[in-house]
Order: sequence, then structure tokens, then C-alpha cells
Amino acid sequence: MLPFRIDFHSGEPVYEQVIYAAKKAILSGALAPGDRFPSVRSLSQELKINPNTAHKVVAALTTEGLLAVHPGVGTVVASGVSGSAEERAQVLVQDTERLVVEASRLGLSEEQLLNAVRKHWRKLNPSP
Amino acid sequence: MNAIECDALTRHFGKVRAVDRLTLQVPSGSVFALLGSNGAGKTTLLKLILNLLRPSSGQARVLGGNSANLRADTFQRIGYVAEDLIQPDWMELPAFLRYYRSLYRSWDPTLESHLRAKFALPEGVAVRRFSRGMRMKAILLTTLCFRPELLILDEPFSGLDPQVRDDLIEGILELMTASSPCTVVISSHDIAEIERMADWVGILANGRIVVAEPLTELQGRFRRIEVVGPEVRQRIPNPTPAEWVRTEATTPNLVQFIHTRFGDRTESELRSIFLGDRIQSSPLSLREIFLATSKLSPSVNGLPT
Repeated sequence: MLPFRIDFHSGEPVYEQVIYAAKKAILSGALAPGDRFPSVRSLSQELKINPNTAHKVVAALTTEGLLAVHPGVGTVVASGVSGSAEERAQVLVQDTERLVVEASRLGLSEEQLLNAVRKHWRKLNPSP
Repeated sequence: MNAIECDALTRHFGKVRAVDRLTLQVPSGSVFALLGSNGAGKTTLLKLILNLLRPSSGQARVLGGNSANLRADTFQRIGYVAEDLIQPDWMELPAFLRYYRSLYRSWDPTLESHLRAKFALPEGVAVRRFSRGMRMKAILLTTLCFRPELLILDEPFSGLDPQVRDDLIEGILELMTASSPCTVVISSHDIAEIERMADWVGILANGRIVVAEPLTELQGRFRRIEVVGPEVRQRIPNPTPAEWVRTEATTPNLVQFIHTRFGDRTESELRSIFLGDRIQSSPLSLREIFLATSKLSPSVNGLPT
């Protein structure tokens, strides 16, 4: 079993969808520093993706400093990547874009969209 | 390095050109998805590559040699999975596998036991009594276990349930994870399934290649464009640019089309055509790209172009 779930949707490159899911897991803390990251082989087998793609995902996350390779142990989540607020917000970029596109398609104004977001936020985080 | 190279490959059946001056390169180590509607020439192309059919003209080169001269030693390196294979299917699985094991020098017993456990096939039943799904697993087993350098699969998933499909895909990916990965050519109508596996896509129409390129490039250049603005319909250029397909204006204020050459400059080009309108672009699934390419090929069935 993988430590993150992906509902693949058609259209976006598989590579970007896997990177996105992995980053979400790391920056949200679902995967903590020092946790084992799945191998290329298990990524490929579990997600039914091309191993070249799985390899590219691990390489890109390593280059970004989110993963560290420990010889003999494997690939683990790098220490100190709980993520700044800015980095964590970065994970939401795609969702935000989708929301803004849908809102403008429906003809909502910026203020109306922000109000809708605020209303939902308060529903989930009721002030004491 | 290319595992397969076709050069003006042609095959007639009577007056029909099933494969028509086809040129194609399949890079080594790729998972190459071959897409095309029924009758596009996929099976004929694969059979030409395997020397199961002779070309009328042109040639195919496979693993460095002319396909018309393929010999037994090259077939030690090529796996072929199709529905109409002739096999000793009166045998039960252990004898069946013993037979294939004896044919291939590179047979991998570790992979065999791994896949046998994964596929969970009955051992005491003749292979010809297998269900369709079990039968495909047995065929794949005899093919994957000698770790071919080139694996050719003709519609391996048709009519199979999702569980069997997943097992087959995992088996194929198993081969790809090896230290010396193989080249896989797979023709299929299950586009969503192979979208995750493939890194190259070839689209065949009327015996010719319409598209052959890396999947990520293809997904980058095909985008759905939506333009919204008052009377935007009036601003559609006449004639519409060649790289726009399926241009539609369902209402006077909405124009939709698929841009087939989307690039860095496209957005500013579109903005200069649709001044002041709202332009949105979104990615397409491989299935949608496949359907859009059917509009790219101007050739009419049966007529030479």
C-alpha cells in the first residue's frame, strides 16, 4: 500500500499527478521526515504507471530536496520539509486555479468567490 | 536507438492498402501505445513487423534486422501476445509452461514463480478450457518469462474484467522495471488504461501514421480552448487556422475548439484574435486527443492520398 492516494483523472500528465499527490502527503505531514518513500518499483506496480515515470517522480522530488537517498536504506522523506506556509500553499495552486476558473465561468466576482470560500471556511472551523 | 523502424511500409490485400507507405520509429525502452479505430491497420502493421505477413513494398527493421529475414534466434528476443495465437492448449499449465521453458534460452524461473503466484491459474485443467481472462494470463506468462527485449501486444485487454486487466498490466510493468528494460508496443482500445503506462503514442488512420510522439508532448500541444465574450462567434477567422479542429460556436457568445499546436506564443496569438474576450485553455485526455486526430487525416477510406 502506498502512503498516498491518487484518483487519476485523464488529461493531466501522469507525472504531474503523482508529484502533486506525493507533495501533498509530504507537506501535509502525512509522510513525516525519515519515513520511507515508496520505491520506483512499488510506485510503478501500485499505480500501474510506467517505471520511467515513477523514476522521474522520485528524481524530481529528490532534486527539490523533499526526498533524500540513504544508501542501503532507500529513499526517505528529507528532514526539515514540514514546509513553510508558502510551500504548503503551493500544493493548493492547482485546486485554487480550478476554483477561480469555475467561478469566473459562472460569472462570480472576486468578492463573491471570497465570500463563498469564507463561508465554507467558517463552517469547517467554527469560531469558539 | 530504435527497436522498430518502418520505412514506406506497405501491404495490400487485393485493392485495399491496409498499411500504406507507413514510416515509424519506436525508440528502445519505450512503452509505445498504438491507437487506431477498427480497420486502421494496427494488426496488419504488427504482423508485418513480426514477419507474420510479407510487405508488398517498403520494409520494417526490428532489433536491427530486416523483418523479412527474422530468424529463430531473433524470435528468442521478441514476445508476441495476440488472441489468435496457436498454442499447445491441450496441455495443463505445468506441461504447458515446461514446453515454453524448453524453447527459450533466457527463461527466468524466478519471474515464472512470481507471476504464477500473482496470476493464480488452475494447474489441473487443460489451457483450452481456461476462461478468456485466464487464457490471456497464460499467454502473457509464456511471453514475459523469457524477458523479451521487444514485447508486442495486440489488443491484450479486450473483453477482460478490471481485475484481470490490472494483473496483466502489473505483469507487463514487472518487465519494464528490470535492469535491462524492454520495448513494449501495445495496441488497445482501452485508452484510459494505457494512458498511464505509455510514454509514446502512435495514432494510425487508414494505414498511415497520423501522430507518433512522446505522450507528454502530445498532451502539451493539444488543448481545449473556450472563448467567452459578446458576439465572439463573429471573430472566428475565416478560414479557421489549420491547427484548430472541432471549432464550434454553440451560442453566439461561446466559441470552443481544440488547438493542436498549443505553445508558448499561442495565448498571445489568441488574445490578438479575440480582443477583450475571456480565453480559457484546459488539457485533454488521450481519448479526446485520439478523437480529435481523426479530424486531422483528410484521407478518405479506400482512396489513396
